[in-house]
Amino acid sequence: MPQIMDKETTHMEKAQQENAASPLVAVEAPVLEVSQLQIFTRQEKQQRPLVHGVSFVIPRGETLALVGESGSGKSVTASAVLGLMSGSLGISNGEIRFRGDNVLDWPNKKRRGLRGREIGFIFQNYQESFTPFITVGKQMNETLRSHEKLTRRQAKVHALEWLEQVGLPAERVYSSYPFQLSGGQLQRAAIAGAMMLQPSLLIADEPTTALDVLSGEKVLDVLASLQKRTGCAVLLISHDLRHVVKRASTIAVMKDGHIVELDTAEHILYHCHHEYTQQLLNARPYIT
Amino acid sequence: MQPLLRVERLYKTFRKSKEQVYALKEISLQIARGECLGVVGESGSGKSTLGKVILALERPDSGEVWLDDVPLLQLKGAALREQRQHVQVVFQDPNASLNSKMPIWRSIMEPLDNFPDVMPPFLSGKRTDRIGLAAQLLELVGLPLDHLARYPHELSGGQRQRVAIARGISLNPKLLVCDEPTSSLDVSVQAQILQLLKSLKQTLGMSYLFISHDIASVQYMSDRMIVMKDGEMIDEFASSELTHQDRHIYTKLLVEAAS
Repeated sequence: MPQIMDKETTHMEKAQQENAASPLVAVEAPVLEVSQLQIFTRQEKQQRPLVHGVSFVIPRGETLALVGESGSGKSVTASAVLGLMSGSLGISNGEIRFRGDNVLDWPNKKRRGLRGREIGFIFQNYQESFTPFITVGKQMNETLRSHEKLTRRQAKVHALEWLEQVGLPAERVYSSYPFQLSGGQLQRAAIAGAMMLQPSLLIADEPTTALDVLSGEKVLDVLASLQKRTGCAVLLISHDLRHVVKRASTIAVMKDGHIVELDTAEHILYHCHHEYTQQLLNARPYIT
Repeated sequence: MQPLLRVERLYKTFRKSKEQVYALKEISLQIARGECLGVVGESGSGKSTLGKVILALERPDSGEVWLDDVPLLQLKGAALREQRQHVQVVFQDPNASLNSKMPIWRSIMEPLDNFPDVMPPFLSGKRTDRIGLAAQLLELVGLPLDHLARYPHELSGGQRQRVAIARGISLNPKLLVCDEPTSSLDVSVQAQILQLLKSLKQTLGMSYLFISHDIASVQYMSDRMIVMKDGEMIDEFASSELTHQDRHIYTKLLVEAAS
């Protein structure tokens, strides 16, 4: 318990320091603000645009779902936010503001400091979130200790607590190798691993696509409850609009590198304007 | 009338460390001619094993599968090979089912090349005109003819799945097993593939075993459904009665998660 208290005070201190630094800013800057982001790919000295001026904002504690088909540019946008774009891609224009600062101006080393600590991420392919031949617990322990000054024992207490928070049998999962867990369990362990650093933003790229319906729902439940507790912002990426519409506050529908519609989930569900959004909503058959 | 397919008391176990795990536990079912039977279940429920046993790709510990009164599991060698034309399959991953070094038309023609005496009633022209037959099959699944000479990597996931379907129907099988045919596709493409399968069923009068974890698409596709969990068949009903009161509690859970 003392560790958690410790954590909260540091978080509060951080917030206070920020307020002190800019006393005129009464409203907290949104966690993530992407504006007019343009991404291109290089192919044999030719530049081909992939993402054409995409803009969206995620305030603290909210979830924005970026929805689109393969090739729409949603994952590329996420990797730009993370600063993990593949070498053949480049940003030609736009800003990515993280808590008010344009991170595109930052040197690589400084951006690296954001990953994990401030921006957590989980992927569709949960098998690759963990190294196969090291136990889940040891990996979580290492992650914690690379970000915070903790003894091994302290880190273990911490890791166990987070495994419990995602509804897993903590002791057993801690000492398991990744292949000894089911897909849903592993994805929840990955969530624990990302959330235990208490990032302000979590990027979840198709986190349930490779999972069964029931385990997928559980993963999203866990995500929602942890988000409520920590107040982190979530960027949820999915190809299935109906699946995420009840999980997000805001939905951005992407097609061919453009955001064609951006609105509250409720509006998207009941009064969407764009034909393509309608098409995505009705793509899968409904249960009758 | 005799059912097309009769499955009787199938058992299949796998050994997992020291425990015995049932993949199939006393599974009995029937599929009528022209019917689509849907199988719903999570991973590990045994639904794919059931499909593989019916395809005679996997041997059960005990039980029997009858297709038009032929006991499939008793067959060996040439007789089994001959029987395979009657039960064909479309798998989840079209990348894995198409040979990346073969042009599309050759992939489509493989089954017909293996059974030179078979001429499906929905194709016309000379049996030796292989490209002509492949073109007709391609048209049936809604692909443009210029795709004949292409290679799998030049096609999208949905187009590749259409090729796999063209090949699956090419021998005019009595039963087509579809094992998660849309799970690796984008939602909008999923809908198109489901529509294609449904219209093919009507025009060709084929019977389907449709396996998926997506309960809504199973209901959309099938006339009757079964729900599997841990190798057992825990629920069976007409697809129109999916949301009825007296469904198994697990079925209700699946419905809730999907709506």
